[in-house]
Amino acid sequence: MDKITIKNIIALAEELRWKIGDDFHDNLAEGIYADAAEIVEDAIISKSNKTARLDNKIDRIVTSRVWGFPIMFFILGIVLWLTIQGANYPSAMLSDFLLGDIRPVLKSLASGVGMPWWLSGFLINGVYLAVAWVIAVMLPPMAIFFPLFTLLEDFGYLPRVAFNLDYLFKKSGAHGKQALTMSMGFGCNAAGVVATRIIDSPRERLIAIITNNFSLCNGRWPTQILLATIFIGAVVPASMSGMVSLAAVFGIAVLGIFFMFFVSWALSKTLLKGEVSTFNLELPPYRPPNFWQTIYTSIIDRTLIVLWRAIVFAAPAGAAIWLISNLNIGDQSIAAWIIQYLDGFGFIIGLNGVILLAYIVAIPANEIVIPTILMLTVLVTGMQAGEGAGVMFELDSVNDTAAILKAGGWTVLTAINVMLFSLLHNPCSTTIYTIYKETKSKKWTLIATILPIIMGLVVTFVVAQIWRIIAN
Amino acid sequence: MLIFVVIVIDYLLFMMMYSYNPVYSLLIFIVSSMIIYLFFRPNKGLTWLLLNSYKVDEKIVIEDILKQLYHNSNNNITTNFLVNALGYKDAVIISGIDKMIDSDLVYFDNDFFKLTEEGFDYAVKIVRVHRLWERYLAEKTGFDKAEWHGIAERKEHETNEDEAMELATQLGNPIFDPHGDPIPTSTGKIAEIDSIPLSGLAIGEVGKIINIDDNPEIIYKQILAENIHIGSQIKILENNSTRVTFYSEGEEFRLAPIVAGNIKVFILKNQEEIQDKSIVRLTALNPGETAIVEGISKESRGDSRRRLLDLGFVRGAKVSIDLVNPFGEPTGYYIKGTTIALRDDQALKILIKKD
Repeated sequence: MDKITIKNIIALAEELRWKIGDDFHDNLAEGIYADAAEIVEDAIISKSNKTARLDNKIDRIVTSRVWGFPIMFFILGIVLWLTIQGANYPSAMLSDFLLGDIRPVLKSLASGVGMPWWLSGFLINGVYLAVAWVIAVMLPPMAIFFPLFTLLEDFGYLPRVAFNLDYLFKKSGAHGKQALTMSMGFGCNAAGVVATRIIDSPRERLIAIITNNFSLCNGRWPTQILLATIFIGAVVPASMSGMVSLAAVFGIAVLGIFFMFFVSWALSKTLLKGEVSTFNLELPPYRPPNFWQTIYTSIIDRTLIVLWRAIVFAAPAGAAIWLISNLNIGDQSIAAWIIQYLDGFGFIIGLNGVILLAYIVAIPANEIVIPTILMLTVLVTGMQAGEGAGVMFELDSVNDTAAILKAGGWTVLTAINVMLFSLLHNPCSTTIYTIYKETKSKKWTLIATILPIIMGLVVTFVVAQIWRIIAN
Repeated sequence: MLIFVVIVIDYLLFMMMYSYNPVYSLLIFIVSSMIIYLFFRPNKGLTWLLLNSYKVDEKIVIEDILKQLYHNSNNNITTNFLVNALGYKDAVIISGIDKMIDSDLVYFDNDFFKLTEEGFDYAVKIVRVHRLWERYLAEKTGFDKAEWHGIAERKEHETNEDEAMELATQLGNPIFDPHGDPIPTSTGKIAEIDSIPLSGLAIGEVGKIINIDDNPEIIYKQILAENIHIGSQIKILENNSTRVTFYSEGEEFRLAPIVAGNIKVFILKNQEEIQDKSIVRLTALNPGETAIVEGISKESRGDSRRRLLDLGFVRGAKVSIDLVNPFGEPTGYYIKGTTIALRDDQALKILIKKD
């Protein structure tokens, strides 16, 4: 074809496009959809929809004004309680096995082959200890939480929760399904971030990803409970201390939900306002969950993937923790130098250098924050506890733990601010990596990482100043 | 630079440790966060305002003047008019005009500025890019309607001809922008629209809304708040000097004539084109009633629209209310054998005919 013919064809196309008008694409697409619907109607004979009516009856109860919310709180409460309580026993078993049985064997093996102390310390007290710790505290709750959650999802109940709560999330520019990813975050933020795949609207999905960290995850519940018991329960009479410390932990979780709504609202009004938003929520029919398959996939897809990522990050963290505590510059260890340097800033925000260093080296998992704090406190105070420099430990006795922390200079303010900072700091490295995998964007990953730290610093700073003004 | 910042922070920390007082540190915090807010708050922060006032790009001034001349071709344009309309300083406008006369874009005609043929072509190009951007923002992004104009105002100066071509191709060479204004083609061809302002219709006349002017912004926001949609059919019930009342899609709307004047309609005379009066919005459906979907309003665009089609909201589909929400929103609609929950702002854009 010569150039003139092509030009003519293009001109003709332009001309035709002009005549057809602007609605052409839409009308064509809608015509096709309508035709397809008609063909389906003619070709498919459906049975009378008895099941649909039963579905509808269940729906009227679980989304009713009176019963909707109590049922929801009851079910989610049960799931959380089963997870926290149920995980204790297997966690203790795993810990006994990995730390109590295997570690001595590894140690004697190392000394048997004549490994120098620094190499066995680095490998066993550093790398192995961190990995074992993460497995022992992380695996059981996830192995309980994820299958339960997946069963509820499969049964079809969770979309109803999203339906009930959507109005609240709409007010903050988010999607009702964020209620689910948020609940998932109470188990594990990395899994919560993966779960945002159920939100198919790009803007609302990003909001859900960035704010998932405000759900207090499994790795942080024990920190909250421990500190509330030691410091907050102690300021009231013993008969009430249990209730008060429980209320304090609950208050932190609720504060997290408040921050989640607030940040969602702020993001949807600023950074994310240009992202496409398409709301819809399908309420699929109820069906009996495929029990074994659900258990299998939730263990493989969710639990093990998350655990593997955590292990990959925990190993170098363990190495770092051991190294900074054992390598000396001048007359003290690197850790002591860093703590000394951070103490000033730590004081201003009501924390201390030990806590800040612990949060820096324990980025891989919130589970190892308290063991690291205890080890570092012993290191800088020169107390007789634990197993030596760079070996994380935890004590069975709450009173002994309290004694170490108080020797480290902790007050009620420190405890409150650690509880707040535990809620408001960067996501663990597993979650950060997962956010990157899910968003494929360095920008959003960075924002999701930095934003909570800034909020944490501001909140702890303000609380510390007000506390000191009132206390004086 | 970075080292300097670190030293300053170190020094501040040192000072605070030795002369620490919680009241002062809280005050310093409050003052510094107020300053940060003043300088960096979105859109109105001092930093952005300062940056904008210093950065008067001559190209932008010239293009803005061209647009004013294009849009007000019936008026007599003076320097004063331009200063008022554009908000630049006198000197900036005058030097812009000088440049434009030098390059043959405008000429003087009895003390008034007029576009030369060359200037007219340039202006059409700018208008084309502006409207293409508005269309793009409507179809491919989630920006709010009220923000389209402002963003397009900036983008029109940054987009060259090739990029405009690419944009047009990506959008399927659209003929109208989302407000209903025609988009000139690359050769400068413009669709003609035969419309009159809503306030000019007589009682009983039926029309179709084809254009909602986004300028001035205050009036545009009022129209948006009323949920008046492009593409809707309307019937005038009352039209006098104090208000215009019309019926559309099952609802009655009341507007001041000055607001109604910013809505342009195409008068429908052909009886076949006039919709049944029983066509209403999906939000008007009550529990227990059933209806047939008539279509989706032109106001639902891009991915949102496609998603509704995917879910089965197509002409001829049966729909009823399945679930009412404890908060009132969203509502669960039963369509094609499934329950789909939609928010009210979506249901407003679906037209139905009750059985």
